[in-house]
Amino acid sequence: MSTLKPFLIRTLQLLLVLWAVVTILFLMFRLMPGNPLAAYIDPTFTAEQQEALIRQFGLDKPLWQQYFTYLGNLLQGELGDSFRYRTPVAERILLLLPNTLILTFSSLIVAYTFGILAGAWLAWKRNSRFEAAALPAVLATRAMPEFWLGMVLLAIFSFSLGWFPAGGTRSAGTSYDSLWQLYTSANFLSHLFLPMMTLAIYSQGLPLLLMRSNMLDVMKEDFVTMAKIKGLSPSAVVIRHGARNALLPVMTSFAIAVGYQLQGNVVVESVFSWPGLGRELVNAVAASDYPLAQGAFLMIAIVVITMNLIADLLYTFLDPRISHA
Amino acid sequence: MAETLLSIRDLSIAYEVGSKDVVAVSGASFDVPQGTIVGLVGESGCGKTTMARALTRVIADNARIDGGAMQFDGQDLAALSERDMNALRWRDISFIPQSAMNSLDPVYRVEYQIIEVLRDRGGMRKAQARARAVELFEMVGIDPGRLRDFPHQFSGGMRQRAAIALALALNPKLVVADEPVTALDVIIQRQILDQLRGLQRELGLSVIMVTHDISVVAYICDRTVVMYAGKVVENCDTATLLNEPLHPYSMGLKNAFPDLQSAGTGVLTPIAGSPPDLIDPPKGCRFAARCPFATDLCRNTEPALTEAAPDHHVACHRASEAAVLRETAKDPATWGAVT
Repeated sequence: MSTLKPFLIRTLQLLLVLWAVVTILFLMFRLMPGNPLAAYIDPTFTAEQQEALIRQFGLDKPLWQQYFTYLGNLLQGELGDSFRYRTPVAERILLLLPNTLILTFSSLIVAYTFGILAGAWLAWKRNSRFEAAALPAVLATRAMPEFWLGMVLLAIFSFSLGWFPAGGTRSAGTSYDSLWQLYTSANFLSHLFLPMMTLAIYSQGLPLLLMRSNMLDVMKEDFVTMAKIKGLSPSAVVIRHGARNALLPVMTSFAIAVGYQLQGNVVVESVFSWPGLGRELVNAVAASDYPLAQGAFLMIAIVVITMNLIADLLYTFLDPRISHA
Repeated sequence: MAETLLSIRDLSIAYEVGSKDVVAVSGASFDVPQGTIVGLVGESGCGKTTMARALTRVIADNARIDGGAMQFDGQDLAALSERDMNALRWRDISFIPQSAMNSLDPVYRVEYQIIEVLRDRGGMRKAQARARAVELFEMVGIDPGRLRDFPHQFSGGMRQRAAIALALALNPKLVVADEPVTALDVIIQRQILDQLRGLQRELGLSVIMVTHDISVVAYICDRTVVMYAGKVVENCDTATLLNEPLHPYSMGLKNAFPDLQSAGTGVLTPIAGSPPDLIDPPKGCRFAARCPFATDLCRNTEPALTEAAPDHHVACHRASEAAVLRETAKDPATWGAVT
């Protein structure tokens, strides 16, 4: 009972935010300069043909009518057709979404696992020479632009050493029976490695520094002192009581990081020719493929908002003080 | 007289602050007889909490035990290796902290935190530990149905009771209680003290009760050690301390607190001034600057802790005149004149 109500409230909030995003997207693309049909209409069409097309797309109707048509279509999962591919946007997006999600989550999981462990370790090694060397190194990785880091990794591990392929998700000519087989194949994973590492190296700084400072605070708490007075083993003191509490804010940052990561994907996917939503978005905008760009934006927004919801719910699960508030 | 469980001799503990040392406890000596509650009383910063924590050997990073011995059950706690000390922690010496709210880990259920100690330190199995947790909750008067609660769902009094249950979990020989009731209101204070007293008698526990509140001492402690500015100034049984104190500071402390037992005169007389700076302590008696009876001798020569009467230790040059001084000390004007 008590856990269901906050869940419902959060879900309602999510829908509200989603509606706002959808509305902004709708207006944003209407406010863009140029006729949205410019890319679609062949210059050889006659004026009558062009008007017929405009009517066919409903672009002659007032804005509010267009808005409701748009909302109605969205509810049915109808995102329109891509100008460039002449295929439904929804289909295209669903095809690319898994690539983006795999890249985003694998890199974040690597970044957070490493960051949390290293952050806790650094807090433990407070005031040591190791810390003095490690902190600037972490800050340096944080400061490197991800496209630059991606290119450096490409130059070293792909072009010089030839350990990893330079781009794409699989070698030309390979085919797999199912998506599952593709995603678990060595071929796919070796393609994934460099872009994943680029994003992971770029994003491990946040959880690392956050974890470290949280740990330093938590280790001063009374319950940690008590754990020592109880004679619990150092690992129980540091991990069970220290790290477990220091982890809470790091988990929240995970959801925020997903948002940032999707943003980072736009760049990294382009560098590694990774067929994901971010790269598609860049291409769509460049080609004035408004329906596709709009769809890609929407999808990214949905992922970010959903992750925030998950983080909220996870937090209630991780911190008992929240669930009963 | 009961066998001595803990015997502290010449214990000094210093904090390193910047390049200087603050000697928080300086040459303290006292005994804890088996099966008694010994009060450790004094104002903030007198070193009582530092001393209590030293018994667990979990002290601040910048603190160090600077000499002296803590003979506990045949072993010197100050000289034990970290490994041997850790074996002793909680099994033989447990601790009740002042703030039970922050001493319980907020993310675990109370039951888990009790079971943790029973399993990790007591070697119990889970089922056995569960049963013991229920028993402990019943002992301290909390409904065992609340075991599955999180600490934040407990009231202040319940948390303190849970902290006591936790401290008793492994049947320790010595329980060190650091201001266990200070954060609670008077009604709950009394309930908790009664509970603690009852359990202490029932289990034959030895307890060190750190407090700044002389009414708590009067209510529960068999013996009392009075500390001032890092020094033990008086040490005797509580009745003697309350009725025939030998040290002017003890006389002053008594005036400064309301009496829990009787209505009293209702007049509270504070001791004016504040304790000396421990970075650079005065050369004579540390209380001299606030003492209405201080002489030149007091200001220049530090009095040693001596047995002025049988089983009554005091560090005062004028202890022999105590009977007269006590009468003068009862007059609030005696204390008002001191700056």
